[in-house]
Amino acid sequence: MKTLNDLLRSADPLRDAAPTPDDRERVRRATIAAAARTAPRAGGLGRRGVLAAGAAALVGLALVGGKAWLGSTTVHAAAVRFEIRLAESTPTLDLQPVRVGPERTIYLHRDAIVTNDDIVDARVVPAKTPGQFNIGVRFTPAAGEKLRAATADHIGRPVALMIDGEVVMAPTLRSAFGADALVTGNYTKDEADRIANGMLLR
Amino acid sequence: MKAVPIAQTLPAVLVESTAERLSALVDAHYDRLYRLARRLAPSADAARDLVQDTFLRAARTPRAIPTGARDEEAWLVRVLINIQRDEWRKSSVRARYTAAAAPPDPAGDDPEPTFIARATIWGALDALPPRRRAILVMHELDGMSVAAIAALLGIAGVTVRWHLSRGRRELARILGVRSGDRHEDA
Repeated sequence: MKTLNDLLRSADPLRDAAPTPDDRERVRRATIAAAARTAPRAGGLGRRGVLAAGAAALVGLALVGGKAWLGSTTVHAAAVRFEIRLAESTPTLDLQPVRVGPERTIYLHRDAIVTNDDIVDARVVPAKTPGQFNIGVRFTPAAGEKLRAATADHIGRPVALMIDGEVVMAPTLRSAFGADALVTGNYTKDEADRIANGMLLR
Repeated sequence: MKAVPIAQTLPAVLVESTAERLSALVDAHYDRLYRLARRLAPSADAARDLVQDTFLRAARTPRAIPTGARDEEAWLVRVLINIQRDEWRKSSVRARYTAAAAPPDPAGDDPEPTFIARATIWGALDALPPRRRAILVMHELDGMSVAAIAALLGIAGVTVRWHLSRGRRELARILGVRSGDRHEDA
């Protein structure tokens, strides 16, 4: 006669159904989205207000230093095309030159590392200067990994953050990117809202 | 315009520390919770929902989660069992079991007689209150000691032994087998 332990082991549903990474990822997203809905918020949020999908482990961004330049901004109530591209300080034939300040030109690589499709959240963040705002961008884990891999070999060279085809930041990399970026355009609230909302449109 | 480290600016806005912690919590405990949930819930879908509800509870009350892997796990396991207990009470599983035991998910090419036998065995567990059922499966299937279960659930060892004994007797009665009750469990 079988014992209870024998019977339980023979009927254990885990013999056929192990937890899957997809399930775990789905729960992670739902959990962080729930936390975001619950937590008090200090800044303006994109309308799509999602911490949802995103939020894989945050890897701090260390984009310190480097000069950047804010291009002219035209207000559109539509999608904003966002890209990050590697750039160089010296020209070669296949790179696109872009003036980013009175005395500075960078040379853009042709292919974007990440675009709007890789963004899971974009939100307005108050800048240190009162009345000015920046935009925090969070990428999918896969895009974060792609950024990290692409920028790890690019330390000491420029990278370009582009909005609607214009370079809005061109810092010199001091360390590799992670899953998040902060676009420090020191925008007005309306501009920042437009860009953050537009980034979430495809 | 210059870039600044995101960590200097975003925490207050994005509650990164909470998001990070919850993400780490899922990484560290999802598998363990799913294994327990699958053995407490009638189906894989119900188990996934149960785990998700557990983490959602954590998301709503992140400050209630203790620190340290062991304490986190204990907190999550208790939450999971409490959620399942509430569900169990609402749905009166015991009453339903006597009429028609809910079978577990069909297992692919499981031959019918085997499937029915497994369904009967696993369905019998639905008659047990979730905490007793959890204690039983942790002890019988995970091989956890009485002391480890007691520490995990924050109850006395004698209470664990009592649940084990009662759970085994109830199941054995339903299934017509030896309970295998052992007084030397420790």
